[in-house]
Amino acid sequence: MDFIAPLIFVILAAIVVAGGLAVVLLPRITGSALSMGLSFLGMAGLFALLGAETIAFFQVLIYVGAITVLILYGVMLTGVAPAGADRRLFFQKQAGWALVPLKFVGVVATVFALSFQSNVVQQPGGDLEPLANAVFRDYAFPFEVASVLLLAAMIGAIALVKRGDD
Amino acid sequence: MLSVPLGWFIAVSSALFFIGAAGVLVRRNAVVILMCVELMLNAANLALVAFSRRLSDATPRGSVFVIFTFVIAAAEVAVGLAIVLAAYRNQPTVEVDEIHELKG
Repeated sequence: MDFIAPLIFVILAAIVVAGGLAVVLLPRITGSALSMGLSFLGMAGLFALLGAETIAFFQVLIYVGAITVLILYGVMLTGVAPAGADRRLFFQKQAGWALVPLKFVGVVATVFALSFQSNVVQQPGGDLEPLANAVFRDYAFPFEVASVLLLAAMIGAIALVKRGDD
Repeated sequence: MLSVPLGWFIAVSSALFFIGAAGVLVRRNAVVILMCVELMLNAANLALVAFSRRLSDATPRGSVFVIFTFVIAAAEVAVGLAIVLAAYRNQPTVEVDEIHELKG
């Protein structure tokens, strides 16, 4: 089992770095935004590999969910013109239909191959309990300051984009 | 699970950080620059979590900092997009080279 963690690490690292490169290199800004979401998703996997499951959860919730959608809203509202013609791959539809059952079979085969024979009992709650103790006890004051910062950012964003006279 | 060395995570983190830095320096679209800043923040998060999980004591300080970074990133992207939209309304472009004047 010693090779599984490095293998997963290499796959996730490739996703993260390739997503980041795609953000910088892709000419179409929508592609950049979606690549950023992919990179964030790979990063959540790296957090889970490090044993920080709660951080991975927040990563999916905040980065992949909220920030990517917010960036896409920004792309939409700034109305960037689509560059060039439809550049879809020729076999994209067929490849999509072929890939999904292949992946399903792969996942099921992996599940049956591993058959959950791990005898390591995880600590219930994972890293959530020490994290919650740290945030709400040792760092309670910075936590409150952070909420004030979020409120200020929200009001500031509304004030910045509010139209003048209505 | 501890078989991946710490240095590998730091290597990925610095790779992503400098990809983001290159994007900030090279791209001219303001929204793409915001995305690259997010990538850099995320790379810092990975370094924080990696050091925290491998070197820290019982208190996961690095993870706490990462939560604060999430707050900063959310605030940054909200205010940043608001500024981009305000500038876009003033002068319909998101290319940072073409935004000469910041007069309201």
